[in-house]
Amino acid sequence: MTNLNRHPASFRDPSGFIYEKDGTVFRFVSSTYSQHFQKLKSSGLYNDLVAKNQLLSFEELIENHTGQSDWLTTLRPLQIPFLNYAWEWSFDQLKDAALTTLAICKSALEKGMILKDAAHFNIQFVNGKPLLIDTLSFEIYEEGSAWIAYRQFCECFLNPLLLASYSRMEAHKLLLAYPDGVSASLTSQWLPLSSKFNASVLLHVHLHAKVGVKKIKAADATTKPFSKKSIFNILQSLGDCITKLNPDARASAWNNYYSETIISNEYLTEKKVIVSSWLKTITYTSALDLGANDGEFSLLCNKEVLIVAADFDSSCINNLYLKLKQNRASNILPLVLDAMHPSPSIGWLNKEQPSFLSRKSFDLCLALALIHHLVIGKNISMEMLAIFFAERCTYLVIEFVPKTDSKVLAMLQSRKNIFHDYSQENFEAVFAVHFEIRQKTTVLNSERTLYLLQKKR
Amino acid sequence: MIELLYIDPGSGSYLVQVIIAAVLGVLFYFKNTWLWIKSFFTKPSSKPEEEKIDDKP
Repeated sequence: MTNLNRHPASFRDPSGFIYEKDGTVFRFVSSTYSQHFQKLKSSGLYNDLVAKNQLLSFEELIENHTGQSDWLTTLRPLQIPFLNYAWEWSFDQLKDAALTTLAICKSALEKGMILKDAAHFNIQFVNGKPLLIDTLSFEIYEEGSAWIAYRQFCECFLNPLLLASYSRMEAHKLLLAYPDGVSASLTSQWLPLSSKFNASVLLHVHLHAKVGVKKIKAADATTKPFSKKSIFNILQSLGDCITKLNPDARASAWNNYYSETIISNEYLTEKKVIVSSWLKTITYTSALDLGANDGEFSLLCNKEVLIVAADFDSSCINNLYLKLKQNRASNILPLVLDAMHPSPSIGWLNKEQPSFLSRKSFDLCLALALIHHLVIGKNISMEMLAIFFAERCTYLVIEFVPKTDSKVLAMLQSRKNIFHDYSQENFEAVFAVHFEIRQKTTVLNSERTLYLLQKKR
Repeated sequence: MIELLYIDPGSGSYLVQVIIAAVLGVLFYFKNTWLWIKSFFTKPSSKPEEEKIDDKP
């Protein structure tokens, strides 16, 4: 294991682990998992799930990189272009991840297997779809046993979705605060009384919270056979309940930005024409659209490359996710991200799930109608912003919104104007330290200026 | 509550599942019976007997 990097989050399951070798991620499968692995393949479950685009596919190698004696096989899974976590998913992303987990468990049961864990960590959005990435989550179903991952599923998926749907909490924020999931007792306390009129919520949450934990020991000691049909019923009931859930309908601050804003349609059309023409003049293999709103500009990017469309407004990101799902635009990965509080690195030793900013640098960044929010709204200096972008990308499409702009004037009405160096001249001077201007143009009918910047060598 | 801390996060839900499964068994029995009765009064093109978990979210 000297030249291999074992993944810091891969230590819980003795059946195997993930490691990186020469920039490629591999999975070591231990001989203790042999029976389950054979069943996964021989039952047709693996092929079935890969065909349905629910499970991360892998290639099997007969090469033991690790030198460990309990080696069974080596898997080279499909490489994930950009890691993403539940605290960055919008409501419908978490909902689809939940429904995929249930659908996989159901398919597994039909083939005599079951999911031994059902955490949101096992799901990644790859090419627009939630995929189960943990190949070793399957085990042979033992006749008479209950679903071992039931509680974990409720805590990781059902409870945050219910809280987001009934109590106006945001599921992604809950899951950052409670990475292992929200317990039934907390959920039961936080849900409104009306939730008790929903039979599924009554059973899976309120009853779950009530049934004495004190009784668990006694019950587990006298386990009676549990029928397969009962597990199917539980999966069905969870699926029915989650399918009907919708995010809180109260509009967010930003999800009607383009339809309700006083900024004209001509401005938006003109801006799209300019950005689109600039993007054709540069080569990039990945892009980050910060403050993506409903993704109008992410959609202008090259459809063959990975585009991460990030916005702090979960409602905008949810709309974008649903739109992309409908249009099958799989290259864009919408994520909820607050630039002021980007996802931290968490887990054991702070290494299990890396922070957003440490995961990848991008060839291109889009920062359209963004910087006035950071400078005037959040007191980030121009210098700090220039360094931020210089550390992230080679090309930068950025929009300068002057103080005379109606949006900025509105922002300044409610606060003291301490932003004396917020001017176009200063913006250019500060960014010129790191970037050179490739293109610059004012947008029709506005005082705003668009720039295409390239990082200095 | 304290006892919960000593239980493996993945387990400890057996009793809850037993109760939920019993209730669901009764609910689904009545639901399916109702759908079966309803099927006599509706056209054959109506919904299938059991609503499936969506395989393609």
